[in-house]
Amino acid sequence: MTDPDLEKLSRRTPPAPDASARAKALAVAMQAFDSAEENADAPQGSPMGGRQSSIFNRIWSPVMNRRFLAGSALATLLVVPVAGLVTYELVRNGTVPLAGKTQMAEKRDAGEAAGRQEVEMHATDTAAKPPSVQPRAKLAEPAPLAESREDDSAAVMPEPFAVDSATDDIEILSRSVVPSAVGEAAVKTFENRERFASADPNPVKSVVTDPVSTFSADVDTASYSYMRRALLGGELPDPSAVRVEEMINYFPYDWKGPESAEKPFKATVTVMPTPWNRDTELLHIGIRGFETAPMAQPSANLVFLIDVSGSMDEADKLPLLKSAFRLLVGRLKDTDMVSIVTYAGNAGVVLEPTPAKERQKILDAIDTLQPGGSTAGADGIEAAYRLAGKAFKKDGVNRVMLATDGDFNVGPSSNEDLKRLIEERRKSGIFLSVLGFGRGNYNDGMMQALAQNGNGTAAYIDTLAEAQKALVEEAGSALFPIAKDVKFQIEFNPARIAEYRLIGYETRVLNREDFNDDKVDAGDIGSGHRVTAIYEITPKGSPAVLNDPLRYGGEQAAPVTAGSDELAFLKMRWKKPDGETSELDTMPVTDADAVADATAAPVDVRFSVAVAAFGQKLKGVAALQDYAYGSILGLAEASKGNDPFGYRAEFLKLVRLAGGISGEKAQ
Amino acid sequence: METELVEKAASGDRQAFAALIESRYDFIHAVAWRWCGDRQDAEDVAQEVCIRLAGAIRGFRGASRFGTWLYTVTLNAARDQMRKRRRAEWRDAAYLREQAVLEGGPAEDGSEELWQAVRRLPDKQRDAVLLIYGEGLSHAAAADVLGCAETTISWHVHEARKRLKVLLRDAAA
Repeated sequence: MTDPDLEKLSRRTPPAPDASARAKALAVAMQAFDSAEENADAPQGSPMGGRQSSIFNRIWSPVMNRRFLAGSALATLLVVPVAGLVTYELVRNGTVPLAGKTQMAEKRDAGEAAGRQEVEMHATDTAAKPPSVQPRAKLAEPAPLAESREDDSAAVMPEPFAVDSATDDIEILSRSVVPSAVGEAAVKTFENRERFASADPNPVKSVVTDPVSTFSADVDTASYSYMRRALLGGELPDPSAVRVEEMINYFPYDWKGPESAEKPFKATVTVMPTPWNRDTELLHIGIRGFETAPMAQPSANLVFLIDVSGSMDEADKLPLLKSAFRLLVGRLKDTDMVSIVTYAGNAGVVLEPTPAKERQKILDAIDTLQPGGSTAGADGIEAAYRLAGKAFKKDGVNRVMLATDGDFNVGPSSNEDLKRLIEERRKSGIFLSVLGFGRGNYNDGMMQALAQNGNGTAAYIDTLAEAQKALVEEAGSALFPIAKDVKFQIEFNPARIAEYRLIGYETRVLNREDFNDDKVDAGDIGSGHRVTAIYEITPKGSPAVLNDPLRYGGEQAAPVTAGSDELAFLKMRWKKPDGETSELDTMPVTDADAVADATAAPVDVRFSVAVAAFGQKLKGVAALQDYAYGSILGLAEASKGNDPFGYRAEFLKLVRLAGGISGEKAQ
Repeated sequence: METELVEKAASGDRQAFAALIESRYDFIHAVAWRWCGDRQDAEDVAQEVCIRLAGAIRGFRGASRFGTWLYTVTLNAARDQMRKRRRAEWRDAAYLREQAVLEGGPAEDGSEELWQAVRRLPDKQRDAVLLIYGEGLSHAAAADVLGCAETTISWHVHEARKRLKVLLRDAAA
């Protein structure tokens, strides 16, 4: 028997795995993964050993483990003579009085019954020691990776764990997979599994190399409520949870709106000095969508897709959600249709399409919602779309409103598949909006992606007041789109502007060529929505310019033929809600839009700038780190203006809180 | 790339885990097949491994050793599976195994006998031989997977050779 014979083994190619078996295995694994996730935050392990046994066994069995016996025997061989020698030396020199030893030992075990013999104490000492090694011994049994020990040959496995350097890994493993019902005393650690879609703040760009900036509209407000919740809870929000544009767009500003629905929105541009940098300016673009009169609003066909999984059983989740939807139902017209689908384990239809006239029936259905089960979002979304299709309103608004506290369990299919589904339905006229609830498991990135693909908005509901704002006061904007795929492109005049930086919109940046490509999806604007975008621009010759001029190719910059009073050129593209081709509107930004002094800028412009400053500071944008919360507060206070709903007063409170939490000195 | 996936999956990233098992399924299946020599068994084992991974990946801190670990998990599952077979339906299994050998891959150089013989080796020897000759691992890597010393592996292989010689001669006779 020689080597070449054995080499044959490598030549055999295993058969390709069966596709269905493969799919099944993957699906089952994902299920297992999810159920492991549920167990993951249960207290793991227990401070005591697992099994109930007499104290004698607990002491004796680890001691008698052969593996340790070898070690302890060796140790004894070494320790006994050394200890003997040391004791002898100490006693001979009189350093340690012999009586003192028992006293100390007694103190140590003060809780123990008095009068115990020293021999017994020795026994407890031995019992106390093993835990340092015990986990290893246990590995052989509970670790699900190690095979069950039924066969002699199985003995291969326990050894590697002990010998191998992977011991630590496996220890962690065995802990993470053994769910423990015991251990109420164990500390339950709060595990934060929230995920956010975020990108690094936009960089400063040179006008010479990148004269054009393109981005998509974003009217979401989720980030603001999330930030508020964190601050009210006494901590600074996770920088990746802060999206500056969403914070700015949270507030209703009084931008001038368009006169007719023909041109669905209008932009107001202001150029003002930057409060946090005296060498730069802010190019502020405020856009307002046309506000349709409530009577003229088309009727709506809404499907509430509600997560009732076990995790929703918290005061700020399902109960809040119920109240929020009650608010919304109260606002609907009699001709509107409402259906309710829940998902948790199995997707279920709670309410077939029902006209809003039968309010009581709808409210009763909302009341019956009970939390329980795990989340199976994919089935739910199918069911929701089916109902939406059933009650489809040709000239109305068809929208699925997804309310959840976290993840969608999409089975083995990926997020991509889900996005594709939503995108398909969007093309057939059914849109999707997302309402986020609760903390701890919130998958912000997923919610963003769903809403963006579904031509909807993502809002985060942390309080009933927020529900009132999102679903009642701004229901028109949230429900009735006036334009879709709204894109902005701004070209800076290199003769006037050296550098620019777009504040926020990190997740909405588009490529330059996407602007004219009608196939590229972008944000949507609802009735009366305001969108605000702010650029920090550095005028040519300002000491704040960061990029050195190019040594070569400086000549290539196109000579400016347009009037030199133009700072930039703004282009907007949008589609009608049911349109397929986009319309274009342009406007130059000239010196006439500039104000010399920050205080000369309109109140709302100044307030939005304060919000932008706050958002950037929370996000950790370098330019804002030296600008104190106190200054932001001053800026916002001076521009509070008309604040009928108290949103701005609340903002001031949050700035104060952030200043306090970050330990900044109050001014 | 994979290391990154493993780390993400270990921290609870669902998508990363999905991508990970998706990309590794074929590998698991192939290893399982080599050990069991049976399609059905290999599929069962592969599924079992996927489930075990789902339970165990969270908190796995040895991303760089993922390959080794995967072998270990797969081998354990395969052994469990074979023990199940051996106990319950030894004869069926033998039949299926033969079928599998007939249907699985063209057996050019009369290697079925060798395969059968290898599968009849004691577990440790079979594992060593399959890891080294079937999977093409080095002695050191195989030692890592089986968690023993490199010399032990070499010894198992040596013993396996002696044993195989006898087994093959018996088969020929």
